[in-house]
Amino acid sequence: MSAAQDPVAVPARRISVRPARGRFTTALKLLLTSPPTLFATLVVAGVVVLALFDELIAPTGYNEVDVQQRLLPPGQGHWFGTDDLGRDVLSRVVLGAAVSLQVGAVAVGFSLLVGVTAGLLAGYYGRWLDTVLMRLMDVLFAFPAILLAIAVIAILGPGTTNAMIAIGITYTPVFARVTRAAVLGVKESVFVRASRSVGVSDARMLLRHVLPNAAPPIIVQTSVSLAFAVLAEAALSFVGLGTQPPAPSWGRMLSEGRSYLEDAWWMAVFPGLAIVLLVLAFNLLGDGLRDVLDPQQRSALEAARAKPRRRRRAGVGA
Amino acid sequence: MRRRTVLSSLAATPIVAAGCSTGDGVDTGDTGQGGGEGGGEFVAAISAQPDQFDPHKTTAYASFQVLENVYDTLVVPGAEDQVMQPSLATDWTTSEDGLTWTFTLRDDVTFHDGSTFDADDVVFSYDRIIDQQLSNAYRFATVTDVRAQDPRTVVITVSEPTPALLAQIGGFKGMAILPSGVDEASLTTQAVGTGPFRLESTSASEVSLSRFDDYWGEASTLDGMTFRFLTEPAAAMTALTSGQVQWTDNVPTQDVSDLAEDDQVELGQVASVDYWYLAMNHAKAPFDNRDVRRAIATAVDRSAVTEAARFDAARPNQTAIPEDSYWHHDYAPFSTDVDEAKRLLEGAGVTTPITMGLMVTSEYPETVTAAQVLASQLEPLGVQVEIQTEDFATWLDRQGRGDFDAFMLGWLGNIDPFDYYDGQHRTGGSNNFHGYSSPVTDDLLNRAAVATDREERKDLYDQAAEQIVDDVSYLYLYNPDVVQAWTPGLTGYTIRPDKAVNFEEVELPS
Repeated sequence: MSAAQDPVAVPARRISVRPARGRFTTALKLLLTSPPTLFATLVVAGVVVLALFDELIAPTGYNEVDVQQRLLPPGQGHWFGTDDLGRDVLSRVVLGAAVSLQVGAVAVGFSLLVGVTAGLLAGYYGRWLDTVLMRLMDVLFAFPAILLAIAVIAILGPGTTNAMIAIGITYTPVFARVTRAAVLGVKESVFVRASRSVGVSDARMLLRHVLPNAAPPIIVQTSVSLAFAVLAEAALSFVGLGTQPPAPSWGRMLSEGRSYLEDAWWMAVFPGLAIVLLVLAFNLLGDGLRDVLDPQQRSALEAARAKPRRRRRAGVGA
Repeated sequence: MRRRTVLSSLAATPIVAAGCSTGDGVDTGDTGQGGGEGGGEFVAAISAQPDQFDPHKTTAYASFQVLENVYDTLVVPGAEDQVMQPSLATDWTTSEDGLTWTFTLRDDVTFHDGSTFDADDVVFSYDRIIDQQLSNAYRFATVTDVRAQDPRTVVITVSEPTPALLAQIGGFKGMAILPSGVDEASLTTQAVGTGPFRLESTSASEVSLSRFDDYWGEASTLDGMTFRFLTEPAAAMTALTSGQVQWTDNVPTQDVSDLAEDDQVELGQVASVDYWYLAMNHAKAPFDNRDVRRAIATAVDRSAVTEAARFDAARPNQTAIPEDSYWHHDYAPFSTDVDEAKRLLEGAGVTTPITMGLMVTSEYPETVTAAQVLASQLEPLGVQVEIQTEDFATWLDRQGRGDFDAFMLGWLGNIDPFDYYDGQHRTGGSNNFHGYSSPVTDDLLNRAAVATDREERKDLYDQAAEQIVDDVSYLYLYNPDVVQAWTPGLTGYTIRPDKAVNFEEVELPS
């Protein structure tokens, strides 16, 4: 997979007479009618529930070593088998969900906050501020994402918190670019110019008018970045720079299971499946959001929904 | 600092062919190339490519696996007991005051380039190590002079009695004798030794050796041999069972017990001279408190740690020196007891929970594995182990600066008890990174280092070991096994505790 991603291509709404309201409820309805997106939403919701109630759900603690019980195949007592130290793989996969989600949320939250702020200011004020901020982002963007994260960790030292910071820094420029592009479009729209003519302050302008209307591509980018952040955490932990043992991390479990692939496939397969599922879900969700939030795609969707059922069934079956 | 990487040595004295009790001697069929003439070709699979062939400069185990069969030293450790035996030197005497060592050399030795071996070669080789301050120069720390008295006699003068001198000059092929005046630059890729095989050619996938017909010992029955590099243990095992190679040390530890039952391979397993341990920082509270360290030593279940880290290929030990060594001291004061450990901790006046940062390195994955087991064992005691995985360079740097609560690592390739205990536990010792200081231990170590009587030395080191274990200077965990596998019916090979691989007397199954 290419580490550096292009900002998601969502055409900013060129002209809008007034900020849309109630758009998101319709969007949500549309979203849930698409099977892949529904699936993705359910998976993400499921993982969130798992992460919230992990200690209740997991049969054992994350580091209950019992060397006598090592490398047991999946079966009664241990649905996902046990690892090389006799720990229950199911419990570690469940407890690892919180780590993955937490890293995803905090890292993306960081890039969202910093990136959107930078993009908003750069796009709205332009001139030298734009040049300085965006060149700074270009410098960060020039590094392959994982390499940059490894460099940051080399400075901060390994650990979950530092992995979050590293991943957050890595994905900041993506958000800055997406936001700036959207703001450049919104800035010129009629309602913004109208607001400016009646003397609305800059702060109110940015937060009330510009940001909400530049939001759709940012929302899509957030979902896609969550997938990348989960993957990046797994990758960093795989090489030993992310979550430290014995804390459960899917990437680390994968790395530990690697040397036992021939004897104990379950050590690597289950955490691997968990990563695939969550990353796939975030990506599908991103796709769904893009379809719904993009005006052109959306009219097509709404049109399709208005069509007779026969047509839709055929579409699903195809 | 220099961690002693894996060292090796060669017994040039006749080895009793052991370790090859071949049940029914199952024939694996084609044993590779050669076949027809003489004893045929012998192929050994090793896990890495040698970095270079200069014995005085390399520290890579892969290089020493090859050089073991190419070079000789003045003395060599015995195959099983690791006691120093004659090799290029036939005998030696020590002066009354212990300050002068006189070695008598063999007179029938020829180098691979045809030149004759004499005392000048010894002086040249040792001076090279000392003058160029090569990695093994520290082994000559007490040596003040190396002199050729006559072509058959070398005299080594030391500044204080050095009973460990033989182990220092013969422990492994890093102390090999080169012909004087050899082109030093060429040694990286070529070898001019006195051993049973000469280095023929090297490539990215293998190293070829041929028999040296003018070898001073009994010439090999093999025409030559090949070291092939197979990184993946599974690949090495497949090559062995299919007859492409006849020997390998790249055995997956989790399969050891299965392989012992497998009659397609002969499995050799012997306790190594390595040990793995945990060290706590004696300069940092609460680990400066002896009772806290003893509490932790009491809570640890060494056999579980051992089994997790090495499966069946290691033996728990509460001291450093493995059972098979002459210097082993049977002393195991700790038995796993969490309640007793809690009492010790309470008695020390420490409030739990304590957090202990445990520094490990992915360079040695068994430290990461063992650390997780230690974390689970210390949790009931109220010690929260926070595992810190570092790359080895950072790890060494933090160790050097004393920036740690505790760390886990191993010392490899030890022969003399001096190697096992002195630098690590003497106050201010060169490897005493954890800051242990005990006048009792210092006194015992000082006396042992200069004691010339073997019994007396052992007794002093035994006492020192007890003091070290009681004070939990190191929390000793286990001695790993050397595990190697070969074709059933292969004779003349002895698996050795120091991991030296010597194929001098190997004969292929007929």
